[in-house]
Amino acid sequence: MSDVTLSVKGLRKVIGKREIIKTIDFELKKGEVFGFLGPNGAGKTTTIRMLVGLIAPTSGSIKICGYDVSKDFTKAMQNIGCIVENPELYPYLSGWENLQHFARMLPKMDEERITEVVNLVGLQERIHDRVKTYSLGMRQRLGIAQALLGKPQVLILDEPTNGLDPSGIREMRQFIRFLAEKEGMSVLVSSHLLSEIQLMCDRVAIIAKGKVIHTESVSALLSQQERLIWRLVPHQTGVNMLKELTDFVKEEGESVITFYDDSKVGEWNKKLIEAGVTVKEMNRKLPSLEDLFIEMTGGEAID
Amino acid sequence: MKGKWVLFVTITSVFSCLLWMFGMGWALFDYFNCSAKSVAEAPAETVETDRNGIHIVALGDSLTRGTGDASGKGYVGYLMEDLEKRSDQKMQITNLGIKGQTSVQLAEQVKQQEVQRQIKLADTILITIGGNDLFRGGQTLAELDLQKVEGLKEEYSKNVDGILSSIRSQNTEANVFLIGLYNPFIDMEDANTTSQIVRDWNERSADISAKYPKAVFVPTFDLFQLKVEDYLYTDNFHPNSEGYQLIAERVAALLTW
Amino acid sequence: MINLVQNEMIKLVRKKRLLVVTIIMAVLISMFTYAQFRESERVQERLGTTDWRTTLQQQIIDIQNRLSGSQISDEWRKQLEIRVSQQQYYLDHDINPAEPGAPTFVRGFIENSIQLLLPLMIMIVAADLVSSEHSTGTVKILLTRPVQRWKILLSKYLTLVLSVSFLLLMFGILSYVISGIVFGFKGWNAPVLTGFTVEAGELNTAGTHLIPQWQYILMEFGLAWFVSLVVGTLSFMLSVLIRSTAAGMGVMLACLISGTILSSMVSSWESAKYLFMINLRMSDYLQGMAPPIEGMSLGFSLSVLAIWAAAALVISFVSFTKKDVY
Repeated sequence: MSDVTLSVKGLRKVIGKREIIKTIDFELKKGEVFGFLGPNGAGKTTTIRMLVGLIAPTSGSIKICGYDVSKDFTKAMQNIGCIVENPELYPYLSGWENLQHFARMLPKMDEERITEVVNLVGLQERIHDRVKTYSLGMRQRLGIAQALLGKPQVLILDEPTNGLDPSGIREMRQFIRFLAEKEGMSVLVSSHLLSEIQLMCDRVAIIAKGKVIHTESVSALLSQQERLIWRLVPHQTGVNMLKELTDFVKEEGESVITFYDDSKVGEWNKKLIEAGVTVKEMNRKLPSLEDLFIEMTGGEAID
Repeated sequence: MKGKWVLFVTITSVFSCLLWMFGMGWALFDYFNCSAKSVAEAPAETVETDRNGIHIVALGDSLTRGTGDASGKGYVGYLMEDLEKRSDQKMQITNLGIKGQTSVQLAEQVKQQEVQRQIKLADTILITIGGNDLFRGGQTLAELDLQKVEGLKEEYSKNVDGILSSIRSQNTEANVFLIGLYNPFIDMEDANTTSQIVRDWNERSADISAKYPKAVFVPTFDLFQLKVEDYLYTDNFHPNSEGYQLIAERVAALLTW
Repeated sequence: MINLVQNEMIKLVRKKRLLVVTIIMAVLISMFTYAQFRESERVQERLGTTDWRTTLQQQIIDIQNRLSGSQISDEWRKQLEIRVSQQQYYLDHDINPAEPGAPTFVRGFIENSIQLLLPLMIMIVAADLVSSEHSTGTVKILLTRPVQRWKILLSKYLTLVLSVSFLLLMFGILSYVISGIVFGFKGWNAPVLTGFTVEAGELNTAGTHLIPQWQYILMEFGLAWFVSLVVGTLSFMLSVLIRSTAAGMGVMLACLISGTILSSMVSSWESAKYLFMINLRMSDYLQGMAPPIEGMSLGFSLSVLAIWAAAALVISFVSFTKKDVY
């Protein structure tokens, strides 16, 4: 129990007559990066706004380190840091003044901690320049610095790699992993890009139309869905043989796709060779989450 | 540096906030407790005013004001222009004429402290009065009740007498010019009757002014007698610019000091 | 709380709002000073004297002449009659109502700007105090700090009170200094009459008394402060309710301008006296001017404005603490 830092139960939000968020339940554990995956308009941002108290939920409970957001707002907020959508800061103040500004809103804060977070995000050189001169990447980093000021247990990042260049994205990924592994934070990352989640998350919740449709660890999810791609000569004989051996066989041009089953692959290979079929290629392939998503939502496209 | 500036603004704001609160409190206190105190009548301190230059005080009704003159100067204005050309001395004119003023009101006005002070300072005093007493906006003409006119004249005489004596008690030196009435209705029917009334009225004015030293009655009846429509404003009652100029010329001829 | 107010003050100062408003005031005051200077020159030229008694007497006569005109509305006539009796009272007591000098200018200027100019300046600051956080998106960070929402709003409101006080001080200092260059800096102790009351359209001088001009100015600024605060509070409420600063300003501007127009023509619409914008001319009560609507008094205006401001505050706080932020 103690390692659950954020727990969300039966979260609902009705605006007017429209049910924007139907039922959302999930938990965040200490030291993990949790992905929040869904197309635009699925309710990711609304959910995140509810988590940080910007929007009052219609029903359901949100607990951060055991403190209910709606009842113990101040205590709950002391344990959370967040960037909602874009990292919007005061453009007419310098980065340092922005941090000072938000530090003053936290209990017991000193200059040392500000220096610490500035170093952590690597903004030492430009910290005294005005924010309006910053690039998007620098603003993103300043936003994270701001979120980290209060040493939160939970960090919520909404689309953290949005608008960054490839090297920036890689840096951000590494940084998030670092926060989770070395600092022991729980990080909630939302994204509509599956590849991103795949690369940095431990667990993922797939959300569509205001509902969590699937929650699982990324590795489990991937291994269940792992495929094997064959190239066989002569093609038809090979396909027929594989069909006898396993249920799932799909032809795709010159290739044949089957499930990857660690215990049986060797045997299948052997049988093919014995029957005189040349195995020109055997390729293990992790499907992209894209494919998974389509599969889970019953072929519904993203966006 | 920046921090100090913010601090300065904040501290200034806090102090000014207290100051304004105090000011507001004081205002409320003062407003709701005002009956306690009262102003002592101000001592009529002797007011020293520059005595150089010529002071002219104009008293009276719309003629003094200049109603009907397109440039708004009236006979007083034209007179001033004329005098300024003639003399190098500094002119100061105080025009206290009020439209529609009657002799009763003027008698009241000359009793006012400040008006008296002005009279005291004056070298020359010009008065146009009586037109409103007599014509009462044309009503007298419509009725033509000679009995009533006689009553008005008696009333007027009493007032003018009061006005002139009040002026003399303030200032024995100044020349006082009482400007007479003309008959604006001379072109209309009953011209003979109305002219007779105006002439009688003027006669009475002349008689009264004769009682006071240095008081001059200035007739204007003759000025408007022949071509009255040329010299009247569109209201057929007040003079127009030419009419005022005629009056000014006549007064100017009489002025000396 | 002090930390929060400090934050707000930093933002206000760094956004240069106060500076901009101060500069606007300086420019306007210079213009008014020049206009006033020209006017006094013209009067002097016309009357050929510098004696204030003559000038005042002339003003009285001028008004009396206007009163004798026939096309004058009844309300305006009443106003003028009261003004004449007041000026006559000054004259009879040998008190100059407009002792030349900067303090007199300050006094006249605050009287003339209490209804429109000053509230406009305040509005510029107040209208974007909350809505600017929405437009820059920083409200999302601000509200996810471990500080309750009402505290954040309270800190913003305190900042408003402070900046209103600051701007009023700047207003006073600037008008004193700028006009002082032209008219001279003396005149703080000139006597001023106050305590005139208007009863049934007649000037009542029973409570009239003399106070030094500095006290009168302080009292006027006190009332101006209250008026500015009320206008500030209303703009503040709009700033909370309407996300767009421009829209908030527009609404407030419309109210203020309609107030100046209405107060010259509402004497027959009696319930208009409960509108806040009709009650802004608080300094008139010290001066003893006839109120735009029969039955209005300092106490009345004070209560009306206080009620409006209190309502605005309640609405602001309820809305701000309950509203979802998108």
